[in-house]
Amino acid sequence: MTVAETSSATTRDALAGLIPVSIITGFLGSGKTTLINHLLKRPEMNRVAVIVNELGEIGVDNELVQVSSEQMMLLNNGCLCCVLRGDLQETLRELFIKRRNGEVIDFDRVVIETTGLADPAPVMQTLITDTLLLEQYRLDCVVTLVDAVNAPGQLNQFSEPVKQVALADRLVVTKSDLVAEKQLTALTGRLNEINPKAPVRVAINGEIDLPFLVDVGLRSSRARLEEVERWLGADEDDGHGHRHDENVQNFVLRFEKPMPWATFTQCLEVLTALRGPDLLRVKGLVNVEGKAGPMVVQGVQHLFHPPLELAAWPGADRSTRLVFITHGIPRQTVADLFSAIGAVTANRRA
Amino acid sequence: MAVEGSLRPGGQASQLSLNMKLIAHHELAGFGGIGEGINMQKARDGRRILWMAHESAPKNFTAVDVTDPRNPKLVVQTDLPHADVRSNSLDVVGDIMAVAYQTKKWGLKPAGMDLFDISKPEQPKLISHFDTSGPCSRGAHCVFFVDGEYVHLTSGSPDFEPTHEKDDQFYRIIDVRNPSQPAEVGRWWYPGTRKGDSAPPPPRHPKFDGGYRPHNTNVYPQKPDRAYIGYIDGGAWILDISDKTKPKPVGHLQYSPPYNGFTHTVLPLIERGYLIISDECVRDNGEDWPKLTWVVDARVESNLVPVATLPLPPAESFIKRGGRFGSHNLHENLPGPCSFRSETLIFGTFFNGGVRAYDVSNPLQPKEAGYFVPGTPKLAPKGSSQINDVWVDENRLVYAVDRFGGGLYTLETTF
Repeated sequence: MTVAETSSATTRDALAGLIPVSIITGFLGSGKTTLINHLLKRPEMNRVAVIVNELGEIGVDNELVQVSSEQMMLLNNGCLCCVLRGDLQETLRELFIKRRNGEVIDFDRVVIETTGLADPAPVMQTLITDTLLLEQYRLDCVVTLVDAVNAPGQLNQFSEPVKQVALADRLVVTKSDLVAEKQLTALTGRLNEINPKAPVRVAINGEIDLPFLVDVGLRSSRARLEEVERWLGADEDDGHGHRHDENVQNFVLRFEKPMPWATFTQCLEVLTALRGPDLLRVKGLVNVEGKAGPMVVQGVQHLFHPPLELAAWPGADRSTRLVFITHGIPRQTVADLFSAIGAVTANRRA
Repeated sequence: MAVEGSLRPGGQASQLSLNMKLIAHHELAGFGGIGEGINMQKARDGRRILWMAHESAPKNFTAVDVTDPRNPKLVVQTDLPHADVRSNSLDVVGDIMAVAYQTKKWGLKPAGMDLFDISKPEQPKLISHFDTSGPCSRGAHCVFFVDGEYVHLTSGSPDFEPTHEKDDQFYRIIDVRNPSQPAEVGRWWYPGTRKGDSAPPPPRHPKFDGGYRPHNTNVYPQKPDRAYIGYIDGGAWILDISDKTKPKPVGHLQYSPPYNGFTHTVLPLIERGYLIISDECVRDNGEDWPKLTWVVDARVESNLVPVATLPLPPAESFIKRGGRFGSHNLHENLPGPCSFRSETLIFGTFFNGGVRAYDVSNPLQPKEAGYFVPGTPKLAPKGSSQINDVWVDENRLVYAVDRFGGGLYTLETTF
C-alpha cells in the first residue's frame, strides 16, 4: 500500500489487520515440502511462520537454520518453522501470543502444511471456531497439490484426495515431467470436474508463481471487484450441461433481489442441520435487505465464519452470489430450499 | 511450546509490529528526546509541518517538514535559555503556537507560556510570554490550545501557594484572543490544594505520591462548555466551563488507590458519551505497574463508570525490555486540518510498549488493532525505546516520538 492509498477511514477494517493463513494440502509424496521450501526462498516470503508436523519433515538445509529449539527454528531468511504440537488451535494461539510478546518474529503469514492423509476441512474450521484465532487470522488460500503420477489412481481409490481437491482455492499439479501430455490434460480435466472454481497450475521443478498462491482470500472489507472475483473464483455459470464429478457438485446460486438476513440464515441452518458434512464449502456475497454493503459468507461443512459486511458493493452487480461445493447435494435442492424458505419468510412478513 | 532463547533476530529489544509499518525515521539532529507536545501545522505554502516540544533541555522545540512523509526534513530546532527549564508541551492553531515552560524548582524563570508566530516555520517569532513564575510556581507543564481563542493551561501562579509542594499547578483558562496580551479568565484547583481552602488537603497516594495537579486539560469546540482533566493523583474530572470565570465540577472518577495514580489524559468520545482515560507510567522496570488506559462510560457525567481497559501484552515480557512500560499519551482527536479524528480508533503510547492502536467500537471489549515497538535506539539510556507521544494525521499516518533519543517514527497503518 502506498502512502497515498493509506486508509483515512475512522474505523478499523475488520479484515485488513488479520494475518493470512495458507493451507498447503495434498497426498503423501505430492511435493508439499518441496513447494514450501521454494516459497521460503522468495524474498517476499521472509516473515512466514510455517507449521509442519515434524521439524525434520520440512527438510530445510542446515545452512538455513539460525536458531533451533525443540519445537521451533528460526531460519536465516527470517522465517519461523514450528512443529505442530497437540492441536493446531493451540499452536496458532501460542504463535500469536509469542509474536505479541516479542518472543518470535513478527510473522506476516502462516503456512500450514497438512499431513498427506489429512482432511483440510477441520484445519479450515479451526480458523473459524476459536474466537482468539478469528480475531487474529484469516484463511487466505487452500492450496492442494496433486501428484500427476499417482493422482489419477488416488482420486478413484480414496475419498480424501477428492475432498482435498474439492476444498481447494488453488490446485497445483506436480511431477508433471513424469507423465505424458495426454495424461496431464486428462488429469487437469478431472480436477476441473471436481472443482471448476479453482484455477490449476502445473509446477515446474516444484516451483510455482507466488502471486498465484497468495492474496486469494478477502483481505479488506473495502475489497475491490477484482479481489472479490479472485476470491469467489471464475465467474462461470453453474455448469448446466457441464460434466461433473459424480461425488462432488459445484454450483453458483444467484438471487437478484435483496433477501432478509433471517431467510438466509434459516436456509443455512436447515442445510447444515440436514446435510452439514456434505456441504463441503460455501462462499459468497449476500445482498441483505437494509444493508449498504454485501455480507461476506464463508463456511466449511457445518461451520460458518461470522458474517462480515463489506463497506460497499464492489462493482455494479448487486446480486447475491453463493458458490457451493457439495458432496451429493444437487443445485436444485439448495435452490428449492432457498425459494421455499424465502416464500415462507415473505408470507410471514406479508 | 517451550522456546528457550529468542526466536527472532536481534534479541529481546528488537522491533515489533502488527499492522503498522515504519516508512520513515528521523533522529532530529541528535536531539531525539521529545516530550508530550506534538501537533501538525498546514503552512500557508501548503507544507505540512510537525512541531514537537522536547522532553528536556537543551532543546526547546523542533519542526519537521513531513509533506513527503517518507522523507521528513528538519525545518527548525530551537534552544532553551538554560538547563533548569523544559518546554515539554505545545499546540498549534493556524499560524500560532503555544509552548509551555516548566522549571525544575520554584521561583525560576522563564516559567509560563510563549506564543509564537509560525507563519514562516523556519523563523518562529515570539509574540508574547505569559509569565506564571512565582515563589511557589514552576510554571506551566501542559498547554491545550485548539480554538485560537483560549489556552487551557496547567500551571502555577505567583498568587498560588499550595498546601503541598507537589500540588503547585492547577487549571487556568487563558484568553489569547489578543495574542500579544494573554490574560487569565478563570481557574480551578482541587479543593484543599491551596492554602486557605476550606477543604482539608487531599490524602497523599500511599505508594506513589505523584501530586494533585492537572496534566492534560482538554476542551473541544464541539462541546465548549466542558473541560476534561486528568488530575494526576486526583483522578479524572469533568468541569462545566460554560462560565469560564467559574469552572464547576460535574463529574469525577477516582480509582487510585487501589491503583497507582497519575491520571494523565481524559479524551472524550463526545458523540458516544465515553471517555478514554490514560494513566502515566512514571517508574522504570514495572515498579508502578499497572498503569492503564481506561474506557469509561460517561453517558451520565455525574456517574463515571470504568467498563474496560485497553489490552496490553503481558507486563512480565515488556518490563524486561527496560525503562518504563505502561500507558501515557493518547492521540487526542484535536480539531485542525491535519488531525485524525475517530470515536472508535484510539492511538496511545506505552513507553517500551511502543505506540498501539485500539478499536473501541465495542467499549466493553476493546481490541488491539496494531502496534509498533521500535528496536532500541542507539545509546538509549534505558536500554529500550520509550515511545512518549503520538500524532495521527488525517491520512491515518502515525507519528510517534521517543522520550530520550529515538526521535520521530512515521508509520503506515494497515487495519
